[in-house]
Amino acid sequence: MSSVSAAAYLARRAAQKERVRILYRRALKDTLNWAVHRHLFYQDASNLRERFDANKDVEDIGTIDRLIADGEASYNKWWHPDPYIVPWAPGGTKFTRNPTPPSGIEIIYNYGREDND
Amino acid sequence: MAAAAAARATVLKHLRVAVAGGSLHGGQRGFPWLLANSLRRFSEEVRGSFLDKSEVTDRVVSVVKNFQKVDPSKVTPEAHFQNDLGLDSLDTVEVVIALEEEFGFEIPDNEADKITNIKMAVDFIASHPQAK
Repeated sequence: MSSVSAAAYLARRAAQKERVRILYRRALKDTLNWAVHRHLFYQDASNLRERFDANKDVEDIGTIDRLIADGEASYNKWWHPDPYIVPWAPGGTKFTRNPTPPSGIEIIYNYGREDND
Repeated sequence: MAAAAAARATVLKHLRVAVAGGSLHGGQRGFPWLLANSLRRFSEEVRGSFLDKSEVTDRVVSVVKNFQKVDPSKVTPEAHFQNDLGLDSLDTVEVVIALEEEFGFEIPDNEADKITNIKMAVDFIASHPQAK
């Protein structure tokens, strides 16, 4: 019984760690979106890292869940409305811009020349 | 008259050779079409090309060495971020973001979570067609 609950506890902690990692990733990219210039970004990124590190040693699962929920709520409030996305990625400007035509279709380059010339 | 006919025949033979040379490329003759054919084939490769694995490894290793919290002498192509290099999980996230910026492409969040050592990062980047 305790082994099952220990496994459940570890699974929950692992899920929390993954949520924290994804949240940190999004928050860092968002920080870069807001602070476009690199020197400002480094300052803001270290502030963000300190906010994450301040809660690093919390052991209680309920507190951790609440902190993650607060972090995600503040991310949802502050995310940049026009983030930089790599052009060919989903959401970027070049995404599905020139899809490859289906095979078998060719363009004949005759430059408008008539057939009876 | 016969000389003109002979001259015409040689000229026509010359032209016929040119047409036969053009028919290899689909039945039309002329220089601009050849250019357009090569241009058309070039535009089909818009999808991108895969990067060389050794080059990717070199660039990844140099990015990780420039990281402030990493000891540059410990970085090898087989290093694990958390075990060998002593990085935090948040540091791993930072390294992955730095790799994304270096190669100019985007990793989805769930994939980025799984990259934990240099070897996986190199495999992922080398198998991505859009990595510059």
